[in-house]
Amino acid sequence: MKQSIANIGWQDSKVLIAAFVWMMTFFVALFGLRQTEWAVGVKVLLALLPIVPFAFFLWHFVNSLGNMDELERKIHLEALVIAFPLMMLFLMTLGLMELAIDLNPDDWSYRQVWAFSPLFYFIGLVWARRRYL
Amino acid sequence: MKNRLRLLRAEREWTQADLAEKLGVSRQTVNAVETEKYEPSLGLAFKIAHLFGQKIEEIFSPDAKEGR
Repeated sequence: MKQSIANIGWQDSKVLIAAFVWMMTFFVALFGLRQTEWAVGVKVLLALLPIVPFAFFLWHFVNSLGNMDELERKIHLEALVIAFPLMMLFLMTLGLMELAIDLNPDDWSYRQVWAFSPLFYFIGLVWARRRYL
Repeated sequence: MKNRLRLLRAEREWTQADLAEKLGVSRQTVNAVETEKYEPSLGLAFKIAHLFGQKIEEIFSPDAKEGR
């Protein structure tokens, strides 16, 4: 039997661990870039640091898709179908708001805005799961 | 799409978990098919039909609305 959708198996644990490591490197990079005056090369390296754990996360996530059954894959696909236009609408609205008012870059820079995409994906997952489960 | 999956499973006194095991899917998927929240792929429908020794159309049938 395929792993229960509600339970977390080893494959999912690897995805979660990879996501945790990726997030940790993001915060390390963020903290490092804010705290100290580094040479430009070091700053760029710090900024690129989360790419490596993200690649591992993506690899584990794509592998985990292979262990899902067809319903779970459909749920993830529908989550994407919801998350993508939501993110598009959000970016479009921010772009227009940027022209209308002064958005504080400390609140609305790329480093804040990207976090809305996993949030929208999670909203999509909840919506799709409620539909089928 | 309507189906007789719950009835066929009950006749054999299988739990949803038993059926899920035999089909290689999760128990939630079996439940979603039985409650007609989810229409299985053709591949899964064939597996179900083969498992119960029936034709697909003997297990799955279109809703009255779909038939119009």
